[in-house]
Amino acid sequence: MAFLDNSGDIILDAVLTDVGRRRLARGDGSFKIAKFALGDDEINYRLYNPSHASGSAYYDLEILQTPVLEAFTDPEAQMHHRLISLRRNDLLYLPILELFESGDSTRHAGTNSFLVAVDTDTEDALGDLGGLIYGAEVGSVLSSFVQIDQGVDANGVLAVSALSGDLLETQYQVELDNRFGSIYNSGGSRARVSFVNEHSMASYYVGLGTDATYVSRITDLSAGASSINGRRGTRLSFKIGASLDLNGSTSLFTKFGGTSTITAADASSVSVYHIDSVARVTGVTTGYSMDIPIRFIKKV
Amino acid sequence: MATTFKSLGSGDVTTTRTLLHESIPITGSIVSGTYGGDAVALGAEGHVKTYSHGMFESVFDYPYLSSSANHIFDITAGYASTSVLSGASNTQNSKKINIYNQMAQVLVGYDITGAVRLFDEDGDIVSGGTKLNECYFLNFTRLLTKDEIKKGSFELELGVNSDHDQAGGVFTKRIKLTDTSGSNGYFVNSPAGEYGVLFASSSVGTSALLTSETLGDATTNPACGLIFYQAGVAVISGSVFNDTGIGGILHNTNTDAMEMIDGLGYNGFDFITGSTNDVVADQIRNRIYNISFNNTTELNSTIYFCRANNTDFNYSANPTYLSTSNGPSEIVIKDGTRTNDPLTYITTVGLYSADNELLAVAKVSEPLKKDPSNELTLRVRLDY
Repeated sequence: MAFLDNSGDIILDAVLTDVGRRRLARGDGSFKIAKFALGDDEINYRLYNPSHASGSAYYDLEILQTPVLEAFTDPEAQMHHRLISLRRNDLLYLPILELFESGDSTRHAGTNSFLVAVDTDTEDALGDLGGLIYGAEVGSVLSSFVQIDQGVDANGVLAVSALSGDLLETQYQVELDNRFGSIYNSGGSRARVSFVNEHSMASYYVGLGTDATYVSRITDLSAGASSINGRRGTRLSFKIGASLDLNGSTSLFTKFGGTSTITAADASSVSVYHIDSVARVTGVTTGYSMDIPIRFIKKV
Repeated sequence: MATTFKSLGSGDVTTTRTLLHESIPITGSIVSGTYGGDAVALGAEGHVKTYSHGMFESVFDYPYLSSSANHIFDITAGYASTSVLSGASNTQNSKKINIYNQMAQVLVGYDITGAVRLFDEDGDIVSGGTKLNECYFLNFTRLLTKDEIKKGSFELELGVNSDHDQAGGVFTKRIKLTDTSGSNGYFVNSPAGEYGVLFASSSVGTSALLTSETLGDATTNPACGLIFYQAGVAVISGSVFNDTGIGGILHNTNTDAMEMIDGLGYNGFDFITGSTNDVVADQIRNRIYNISFNNTTELNSTIYFCRANNTDFNYSANPTYLSTSNGPSEIVIKDGTRTNDPLTYITTVGLYSADNELLAVAKVSEPLKKDPSNELTLRVRLDY
């Protein structure tokens, strides 16, 4: 993954991704490019310097000098951040996604991640621990869950109100390693997988109106009712269920993870196998994404 | 409505076909000098692979036991069963007939009775005419020829000094075989694609080395072989090593029939009767001074015109696009002023399927500035 030569004319370096080549090889017409998006993964906009002493021509000089990496074939490793089309030019704020940690939706304090107990032994050993998602008995009321709020957070500059119009996120894509677990709603029902890519990442699409147990409007505008201090849009909530492979075997823990100790709800010390992973949540409309740290654990 | 994708319409996609040509020079030193010369016996060089069946040999550009070596062409030879050279007492007589028939059935096919046609000297099969009954074959690999040899670009230069010599003495007299007609005339009556006729001319010295030749007059150059462009096979008549006394094209006095094997006489291509095909190939290889041609690669491309209009892609989902100090939602490049235009810097074009799978990626060599005052068309070409 070298840099592209940027000493002369602007060139465009294009490759088919793994998925593209596989679909092409399949020969069933599934290789059909229907749309495009633009990305800016290499750009650090915080290098923009509107107070540069030499004038406006120098504001973005450092950004324009950013070397660009050549294209490569792993679809997971690029186009992380897409550019957004909005008809208005006068927006000062863009909506974001924020974890809303409150009550049973807080991360585990010791690891700053959500823990997923993969079997009932682990659930029983750790008890009603903050940040512990019951991955075997997903519907349990003792289970924690992930809660993400969407909206415009301007640190109190904007009055707290409901977000509407073209900035409201109405559909989310949740990506999770299919070898480790699946997405569930708070009642313990499993979400439908949209597709699983060759790196075993499963994608789930849930939308406002069609998946009410996952996505809802944030209607409570009181101070502590959301992490968004401004215009409040929608809320995504979900749990994670453990895969059968993690539930019944330690082989994946041995391959991808390690062992550690967790203090249970009753203050006892529990030795566990663990695998660290992430759940990636992306707003399909606005393109904003965030990675949520997940640790799958199994009692030794 | 915010969106991060833009659909490609029928007017945004087009297909093109491009022919790429590469120059392929195969110098004689690669064929018989660098790894051999007079220090190593012909056939014992590390870059030449022979086989126990002895029907052909393979030439590599480097000692073939190395993983760096590339197979570049094969050499074999044969004659028709009706050839005057054919005889039951010949070495590998049936194998030479088999090789000739195999090449002929693939390259020139069958007549209406189902009999394998003979190679025709001028390509005019219907009219009959002179046949190439004794030939040797240079079969080039696809690595070199790619989709086809470019018509009119083939050249094969042979050493025709009559005395056998392994140290380059055979190259003091040379003839050059070219398909000069190929660029404006070629034949399409072969089952293996298009082919042209090879004509010989003297390439060194002031005396004509060919019987019928007037130096500088291309119309006097004799036909001496065929080049099959898509198949990548040169079929060379054995007459290029014979003088007119034994039915060849070489001048009787300005040169002579070739002494192909040291001490076995000046009997030109007739030496094929007493040697296995790999030995024949060694001696032919010893007289190759140079081979060159241009190959052709046909590129079929689909071009996607990714058009970013003035209202498109002016905002970004990049986390650094938003401030960390003035509230997590504030756009940093606006510098706190709502009326400032948004802007983004494009580094990547992603091409997606309808179900949002990333199928192809293109990167620009430097960031492209996009704001509401400009429009960009990024032309992404995928080659197949």
